[in-house]
Amino acid sequence: MQQLFAWSSVALGGGSVTFVGLLVFRRIRLYRLEVERQEAERRLEPLALALVNGEEIEAVDARDAGVLAGLLSRYARQVTGDSSSALAGYFERSGGVEREVAALGDRRAWRRAAAAYLLGDMGSEWAVGALRDALCDGSRDVRTAAARSLGRLRASAAAEELVGVFVTAEVAHGVAGQALLGLGSAALPALRGLTGSDDPRLREAAVELLGLLGEAADSPLLVARLRDSAAEVRASAARALGRLAAEDAAAAVRAALDDRIPFVRAAAARALGEIGGRDAAPALLALARSDHYDAAQAAARALVRVDPTLLAAAGHEGFGPHVSEAVDRAAIRS
Amino acid sequence: MTLALQVTAVVALLYFAVLNAIYLVFTGIAWRGVTHHLRARAYAGENEAFASPLTPPISILLPAYNEATGIVESIRSLLTLRYPEIEIVVVNDGSTDGTMGSLVEAFDLVRIRKALREAVPTKPVRAAYVSRRHPELLVLDKENGGKADALNTGLSAAQYPYVCAIDADAILEEDALMRVAKPMLDDPSLVAATGGIVRIANGCRVDHGRVVEVGLPRSPLATLQVVEYFRAFLVGRMGWSSLRSLLIISGAFGLFRRSLVEAVGGWRTETVGEDIELVVRLHRYLRDRGEEYRIDFVPDPVCWTEVPEDLRTLGRQRRRWQRGLGETVWRHRGVFLRPRYGVIGFFGFPYFVIFELFGPLIQIVGPPVTIYAYATGRLSLPFLIGFLVVSLLLGVLLSVAALALEEFSFRRHPSTRDVVRLLVFSVAENIGYRQLNDVWRLLAFVDLARRRRTWGAQQRRGIGARNSASSG
Repeated sequence: MQQLFAWSSVALGGGSVTFVGLLVFRRIRLYRLEVERQEAERRLEPLALALVNGEEIEAVDARDAGVLAGLLSRYARQVTGDSSSALAGYFERSGGVEREVAALGDRRAWRRAAAAYLLGDMGSEWAVGALRDALCDGSRDVRTAAARSLGRLRASAAAEELVGVFVTAEVAHGVAGQALLGLGSAALPALRGLTGSDDPRLREAAVELLGLLGEAADSPLLVARLRDSAAEVRASAARALGRLAAEDAAAAVRAALDDRIPFVRAAAARALGEIGGRDAAPALLALARSDHYDAAQAAARALVRVDPTLLAAAGHEGFGPHVSEAVDRAAIRS
Repeated sequence: MTLALQVTAVVALLYFAVLNAIYLVFTGIAWRGVTHHLRARAYAGENEAFASPLTPPISILLPAYNEATGIVESIRSLLTLRYPEIEIVVVNDGSTDGTMGSLVEAFDLVRIRKALREAVPTKPVRAAYVSRRHPELLVLDKENGGKADALNTGLSAAQYPYVCAIDADAILEEDALMRVAKPMLDDPSLVAATGGIVRIANGCRVDHGRVVEVGLPRSPLATLQVVEYFRAFLVGRMGWSSLRSLLIISGAFGLFRRSLVEAVGGWRTETVGEDIELVVRLHRYLRDRGEEYRIDFVPDPVCWTEVPEDLRTLGRQRRRWQRGLGETVWRHRGVFLRPRYGVIGFFGFPYFVIFELFGPLIQIVGPPVTIYAYATGRLSLPFLIGFLVVSLLLGVLLSVAALALEEFSFRRHPSTRDVVRLLVFSVAENIGYRQLNDVWRLLAFVDLARRRRTWGAQQRRGIGARNSASSG
């Protein structure tokens, strides 16, 4: 037993000393790396700026190339047009794109994810095919980074795949959504097609995104979804019509104020607040007096925008707590 | 007597072996989890989420009872959070100091009529106010009913789909809300709640509701708690979260899906451990329904908070925490070893019962029994010394490993002098401080037996107020 204690003590003491040693080593190493990085960035910044401005620069050695790539990818997130093309061209010529595409096959998931992320910042369309393949990677981090990069590259060819991963949670929901928004109008044909999908989750996502990316011409498609069998899709359609401020859909959205599901009624009320038009005021006032909190709140707040005069009058006539609150809040804002 | 002694010795040794094995495994899991989290963070698209119209808005709930010294600074820090859309619901829980007055003055509050959801019954709300300068700031002035009651009142007024409960004396870092919400943004249908890391603000320099310089407290007692918090959050919570058994989200900083909190009936007012009780209840609710879900700890959203610097206040706090744990364990005893609760029922919950609730009992009984055994010649001196040395070194290893994890990951203490000081305290906390904690936790059983319900007076110096005073 004593021997066991002795060996345990040596092992535990050794473990503690190792951790302390690691702490000291890490402090010193990080300090040195930081000094070196700052010095290299200072030296290479003029070259990076020259590249952004479309100038040709001399090749740098392998060590500096890594720092320069880091600097350029930081700029790449902020530049567009010719500057973006210039940077993409540099990464293609210098072999950066090729190297990162190859890294998508690395056995380490974090390296593949880092490569997928960097390819988006490099801005080269050469990477689109490899990134689409990476959407099927076994690691969620890699798929998420690939989705983000496809959005940055405005890879319209990947629109349908991105909607798919957005809905099935194969990548981080917010990142996939943002990637689809990044595609802009290029995503619209795929989204329009998906509003008629058999899968209600796909319909809901497509309708939601159409509200953010779509145009006035999408209004009839969205109005049809106000009669969808799935309540989530109906609410999503109401929100989308509100975002598009689709005046031609006002009557259909007004009808949705009578939906049997409270969150659809709430979404319709909010949408009417965005669309405007006094025609909706009486129905909103009635909903603002109803029992369901979220729907009544949404209706009272929408009234502030739709018909402030009616709201002010109702506020004095005991139309319930939601109307009273909306009146008081409106008074503060004015 | 001999048999009793032998049984006690075997129980104590088993307890010691299993507990430390768990700690060692958790340290490994935490290293792996934090490393993965940091790598993933680099390509998680945090900036994109901030700019995205798909990022859902959040209602922040801030219960306040006699918080006049620090509440204004706390709210100022919340108003500068980097998140697309928030509302701040401050609930003044019948404060008897100048909390309400300082709020009215600092934020130009105007009285309004406020509709409340009343999903959970609460004490009456006397008045509601909105800030003229910050329309997203709502203040509810209600009759005193305790922290849980105040949180439920905030819940009734919250308009957004997620609620973030934070302590009135806490200071959130600029990105804290975005980071704690990230798992929910990434998996909205799966993630039910998340909690961030709580760090100690004593010794830090605070300016306009922001921690601008991280430092260590002068008080040795507070510094010991810095080491303790590293271990509890970076190792403990990270480990539990990785095993899908996180039973605690600190009351100081936690984010919840509002509809779920309403569905389970809000925060319980009958316990002082309303934070742990809510999380256990959420687990039960979701597992009873067979739903797939996650409750996550996120290691990088930081909430700074003030910790006690005197033994009396610290002892009261620890007794209260232990009492809360005891009440929760008793209320949810049906979870213990029930197959339907999976890893929670077979590992997470039993761990809390055996090692957290009854642990102090074994740790306190252990030394007198050992001394008795030695005095009566049943234990040899070399065995006694060997056991003590191994216990001490194991404690030191676990503390130093937690400190090393912090240094390798977030490195929030930039001063080398501070790190050396933390190393010294990592060793020192094993001699006296941990044992003192056990005594306080044991005393909580007395409170439980007396069915004590009060929180006890909390003396806040105010993080911002203290810094202003010391810098002036």
